[in-house]
Amino acid sequence: MGSKKYFHPAGLAMAALCVVISANALQSGCRGGKGDSSGALRYNIHTEPPSLDWSIATDHSSIMVVDNIMEGLTRFDEDLNPIPGLAESWEVSEEGKRYVFHLRRNARWTDGRPVTADDFVYAWQRLLDPATAGEYAYFIFMVENAEAINSGEIKDPSRLGIKALDDKTLEVRLCRPVVYFPMITTFICTFPMRRDAVEKHGDAWTEPENIITCGPYKLVEWRHEYRMTLTRNLSYYGFCPGLDSVIFYMVNEDSTALSLYETGDLDAVNPMPPPSIPSYEDRPEYVNYPYNACYYYGFNVTRPPVDDPLVRAALASAIDRSQLPRVLKGHQLPNATVIPIGMKYDNPGLGYDFDPDKARALLAEAGYPGGKDFPAITIGYNTQESHKMIAELVQQQWNENLGIQVELRNMEWKVFLKELQHDPPHVWRLGWIMDYPDPDAIMSVWLSNSGNNHTRWKSQEYDKLVLEASVEKEPARRQELYDRAQLLLCKEDAAVIPLYTYTINMVVNPRVKNFPQNAMDLLDLRRTTIED
Amino acid sequence: MAWFLVKRLISGVLVIFAVATLTFFLMRKVPGGPFDTEKIHPPEIQKNIDAKYHLNDPVYVQYYDYMSELLKGDLGPSFKYRNRRVQHILMDTFPVSAKLGLLALLISVTFGVSAGVISAVKRDTVIDRLSIFGASLGIAIPSFVLGAFFIWLFSFKLRIFPAALWETPRHAVLPALALGLGPASYLARLTRSSMLEVLAKDYVRTARAKGLSGAKVILKHALRNSMGPVVTVVGPLVAMLVTGSFIVEKIFSVPGMGQFFITAVTNRDYPLIMGVTLVYTTLIVIMNMVVDVVYSLLDPRVRLE
Repeated sequence: MGSKKYFHPAGLAMAALCVVISANALQSGCRGGKGDSSGALRYNIHTEPPSLDWSIATDHSSIMVVDNIMEGLTRFDEDLNPIPGLAESWEVSEEGKRYVFHLRRNARWTDGRPVTADDFVYAWQRLLDPATAGEYAYFIFMVENAEAINSGEIKDPSRLGIKALDDKTLEVRLCRPVVYFPMITTFICTFPMRRDAVEKHGDAWTEPENIITCGPYKLVEWRHEYRMTLTRNLSYYGFCPGLDSVIFYMVNEDSTALSLYETGDLDAVNPMPPPSIPSYEDRPEYVNYPYNACYYYGFNVTRPPVDDPLVRAALASAIDRSQLPRVLKGHQLPNATVIPIGMKYDNPGLGYDFDPDKARALLAEAGYPGGKDFPAITIGYNTQESHKMIAELVQQQWNENLGIQVELRNMEWKVFLKELQHDPPHVWRLGWIMDYPDPDAIMSVWLSNSGNNHTRWKSQEYDKLVLEASVEKEPARRQELYDRAQLLLCKEDAAVIPLYTYTINMVVNPRVKNFPQNAMDLLDLRRTTIED
Repeated sequence: MAWFLVKRLISGVLVIFAVATLTFFLMRKVPGGPFDTEKIHPPEIQKNIDAKYHLNDPVYVQYYDYMSELLKGDLGPSFKYRNRRVQHILMDTFPVSAKLGLLALLISVTFGVSAGVISAVKRDTVIDRLSIFGASLGIAIPSFVLGAFFIWLFSFKLRIFPAALWETPRHAVLPALALGLGPASYLARLTRSSMLEVLAKDYVRTARAKGLSGAKVILKHALRNSMGPVVTVVGPLVAMLVTGSFIVEKIFSVPGMGQFFITAVTNRDYPLIMGVTLVYTTLIVIMNMVVDVVYSLLDPRVRLE
């Protein structure tokens, strides 16, 4: 789901274009624009969705579209709590390992056929089928036999822990209790699927003329690499969606999208190019709020001198995070812990705050007073302007506050990923965008057996805390467990230096009402309307 | 000429084969795989992906499989756009790039050659100096700066052309200008110097001495004979323009294939990299053949053997 960008000399021209747009923004108020189309929302999804097949789609653009043409057993309300979706209710067994979902009687596909429990069974079996090669199959590895089926160890898909008890009743058996399971069933890879459409049309089943869906909107046009049009799905079980149609444009360049907003050809733009943000901050259509994503620096704890926790603590204490929003211009929220600010169980006070005196003392205790004899360390990052700015800032602060030399090394994205997997530099950057709004989505990154843990840091205590928290129902106890885990990760062992919580910066034309604004950046347009 | 064309066709096929082979092996040497993301897949999922796309086969086996399918006209499935085959992606996007490229070519040749001829004929006048200055500017300013400037001027200030998108003929004007003015400047300089050389030839002087009008001398005798270097450049230029420009298509949000020259590589979408490389190489080969034929038509001294 994470997005990436790559550097190009054209970035300079984009910056120039941003200045042009910003100047224009300061001179003029909001315009409805010549391209107004009553009841049609025009929004930019950045890129061609790589696939609308929800068993294999992983990109944000695909998810934005699928979330509007489909629905899962559950969905999120505006506060990101899971609420009934295609399932009008469900029961959970006492030990938390058996769920029984009751599907809505009036839920129908766009061809009029009722949505049945078998549609879910087929979708989940297909997601786990090794031949599908679904990248998000691990999302439901907590379902009984799911992992074994996906690895090919079990050949019989009917042994998967999902069963249609009747047309409208679905049983799911888990191998372990998962308190956030109703959040998992909001995600696109768990949505039901029509076997007949998939088998009849093969790879082309997601084209508008073939696809069968059951969400608030339906896909009617897909001009590849350019535009998609959705219209209101009149057979949707719920209330009638607010928009006649939704037109998704695939404008790659954020500054171009902002130009189109200014000329009235787009109704909302997210994200905004950072250089343009200051000129929009006083305008009523500018929106800024936290995003459930964490930007952090990780250590390779096996590489001297950052193999010493004291050195890592010194480095963590020598960063003044309050400078980051000034540099990045997006009102990012400095955060010394990994759980994003504004999310349940956050506790930003736990990590290392900026304290240069303490940092120097820690470095001296580690054997490098005043930074003397401290070997040069490297910060690795993937080539992008904002990562460069952050790395330069940290380099400067470590040099000024600790007297140490820091080298910067930028790499092309996939080269960088390969290096993280095989031989990470002393310090490296990553951002983690959460797939579901539960701390487990980020805390599990640093489990000892996690492929995403590039720090090489392993802590049995941390593993125990995070796994216990994932099954703990009592909020107060969960808070304790996550606090302790964050303290270990970000302070006592300082395996990572969290820097900030991402923010969403967007503009929405005032004539658009109830445009979704949530920390998961989910684009649920069923309540959105346009005023003439 | 027929034998010449057959020979060139055979050598063209060999060139395409060589480029395809080189690209196939080189792209696999670049670190990072098509399905690498910041969220590392569990081993069983990676294994399934590798098996589905034969990424765990030895490279020579992958090469053999690819070439076998290529001979059948199948460019394979895209690794990024997993429901689509590369030929379908190219069929969707190439016509857009070709349309924009041909418009840009029209602008390049019309403006470039006209400016070059006028500049040569009016040598050392204000017109000539202005023309040289304009051409130097056109060469020096990259297309993305021109694009940003055009959006500011024509979309925000004058409001006569759309800032981006690809809907009506009006949407094509700014990207075509941004794409075409650079080559136009280059062609103007080329035409001017070639024209000056030709205008100094004896046969031009003779034509003038015989009393032919200035326009006739220039258009009938001088222009035709000064077109050799221009044609040499226009051949590859056609291939370059019709396959799209990453920058211009990005700035104006044109749904062409230019984007894939960069994104296919950054995504390590091997089949798509092969697809765009093959299209570009084929066009270069064809245009070089066309240039040779046009040479022989322009200059009877050139024999195609």
